[in-house]
Amino acid sequence: MPLSLYYYLSITAVNILMSWALYVPYRMTQLHFITIANMMISGYLAGYLVLHVHVPFVCALLIGFVVGGIIGYVVSLFIGDAPTFAVVIVGFTFIYITRTIVENLSIVGGTMGMFGLPNIGGNPVAHRWIILGILYGLVVLCGFLIYRFDHSSIGRAASAIFVDKELASSLGIDIKKLGMLVQTFSCTLAGGVGVLYGFIYKSFHLDFFGFALIGVYMTVLFVGGYSTQWGPLIAAPILYGVPLFFPPAVQSWRIVIYGVMLILVLVLKPEGFITRKSVYSIGLALSRKREKVIRS
Amino acid sequence: MKKLVIATLLVLMAVSFGFGQTNVVVSEWRVPFLNSLTGSIAAIGEFLQWGANYAADEINAAGGIAGKPVKVVPVDTALDPQKGSVEMARVVKDSLVAMGPVPEPVIMAAMPIAVENQMVSITATTSYEYASQFFPWTVSWFPPTLDRLPPLVVAWAKQFGDMKQVVQFIEPYGPWPGMADAHSKALKSLNIKEQKAIEVPTDAVTFGPLVVRALDQNPDGVILVCNAEKAAKIIKELKSRGWSKMNHILVFSSADDAQLYSTGGMDLNGVQVYNYLNLDISNPRWDKFKAEFAKAHNGNMPFSLSPNYYDALYMIKEAIEKTGVTGDPKKLKEERKKIADYIANVKGFKGLLFDWDMKDGVPTNKPTYIFEIQNGKKQLVLEVKQ
Repeated sequence: MPLSLYYYLSITAVNILMSWALYVPYRMTQLHFITIANMMISGYLAGYLVLHVHVPFVCALLIGFVVGGIIGYVVSLFIGDAPTFAVVIVGFTFIYITRTIVENLSIVGGTMGMFGLPNIGGNPVAHRWIILGILYGLVVLCGFLIYRFDHSSIGRAASAIFVDKELASSLGIDIKKLGMLVQTFSCTLAGGVGVLYGFIYKSFHLDFFGFALIGVYMTVLFVGGYSTQWGPLIAAPILYGVPLFFPPAVQSWRIVIYGVMLILVLVLKPEGFITRKSVYSIGLALSRKREKVIRS
Repeated sequence: MKKLVIATLLVLMAVSFGFGQTNVVVSEWRVPFLNSLTGSIAAIGEFLQWGANYAADEINAAGGIAGKPVKVVPVDTALDPQKGSVEMARVVKDSLVAMGPVPEPVIMAAMPIAVENQMVSITATTSYEYASQFFPWTVSWFPPTLDRLPPLVVAWAKQFGDMKQVVQFIEPYGPWPGMADAHSKALKSLNIKEQKAIEVPTDAVTFGPLVVRALDQNPDGVILVCNAEKAAKIIKELKSRGWSKMNHILVFSSADDAQLYSTGGMDLNGVQVYNYLNLDISNPRWDKFKAEFAKAHNGNMPFSLSPNYYDALYMIKEAIEKTGVTGDPKKLKEERKKIADYIANVKGFKGLLFDWDMKDGVPTNKPTYIFEIQNGKKQLVLEVKQ
């Protein structure tokens, strides 16, 4: 497989998973940026365990998921039912705190970063296939789980909270419990993805987890469509991939193009390109076609 | 008979011409330069690119590399590790050698790809501590921080017998805390008391409280280890709070760029700064570079790091010519190794400002300088040898 394709596919998978990590809590209006801090914490922890304690990668990855989940759960005890703005503030604060801790921790490289993460599977080719396998396995697994969530009673409860919290509450929905569930899920996912993110680059640097990532995931979520899981799935490869094929002269305008695109989408199609309605229409069209095929 | 003589002469000329050339198979040498041409350090990326392009123009005007023209191919990584890694993955596919990436986060994401594919990519703007992680597939443009900085700080401090207590302002970015540690080592060797360092947050916008905290410790000297704009603002705050011994302020090399002067203005008068770049040196190449740079940059003189990729391209030229690299895709692996081996131990390399040697990828004899700023210009105070 061409090396550039590997990087494109692996980073696209990371972007899909992390956009989903934002998508799930946003189903009940919570923009949970703590996920970026979770990536950082679990990533650095796994890097340290593999490099210095010689823990096998798989164990370090699992620890990454678990640590992400624990942090997400503990924080959700306090902000499980918090409004959007409060959750955003907690997320930003966590990113700052985590950055400061990492900056001052020489055992994980401090401001210099962490170098020389080993190849999983012993050689670069095996490393790439393993990383891709795990990432796309996660895409399928998480895609399935989120699909089930969206089509379950708790998914409908989340939709009710999105529309009107008070109304949802009066319908007997436990907002805090549901908030804790979605926040813990998104933090668990982010923890594991953070580990994989560092192992793609075979290094960790604080700026891998900068605020720019929030911009990327927000663009994927809002341009793709925040009301269905298909939005991020389709937007991530396009938004990340298309600029790579721009001619150099146009590449310089990449950020402007992103910005204009985001503004246009927010003004003209506030729910993003893929909406529930469009998913429903596509589903309907496909089922009619299938019906026709069966009849003929 | 006459025709035979002419034909023989022509054949001899052709043969001798052929012997004088290596069997270069490329019609043009293409050197990708992974640079941050957009994003928050695009201004720095611009002048790094300018230096590389200028070198290419100069080389081409003088006959190219081994008789073939060279083209520096700009590859924008946009300060984005994600983009940097994909671009490097593309570059390593068939490039003989590359330059960049810039800066550290992109270096860390992209350089492992160059190492895995055994291709040299010269990271000429980062510190030894980063570059050395990727040896032998890059070289360091600077000696180890703990070797090169202490003599500079010692030389600065020795100018002032009254200096007994020094405080450092440190921005926690990449190699900068490590550079501050090297300053501390120098102060310790002189028995100068180092007071509690003041951390400059990366997103700091006001500097009054930081300066008050520093002045509370009654320092006699200040070392600034933060970006140019912040350094200038701290100096302005210090001055507005009564600091008068301006030469007791030392600005580290990474802050010596345009924003220091545009933000600091006349408040910088007397402040000292250390750097490799000496505008006072005069030689025909450097004088021409300065003139052309000024023409292209609204009259500004070259900023810190401006000549780095100019020199990097000349180093690649020398490596190709001295090792007989042909650019033949079939010999890609072997020729990449030749370049790596050559540049790691190049001797008497004719840089834009001075000649230097490399030993195992580390420069051994680059001079460094301490300047004093007066009316927006740097005046040489000391040359410091390692």
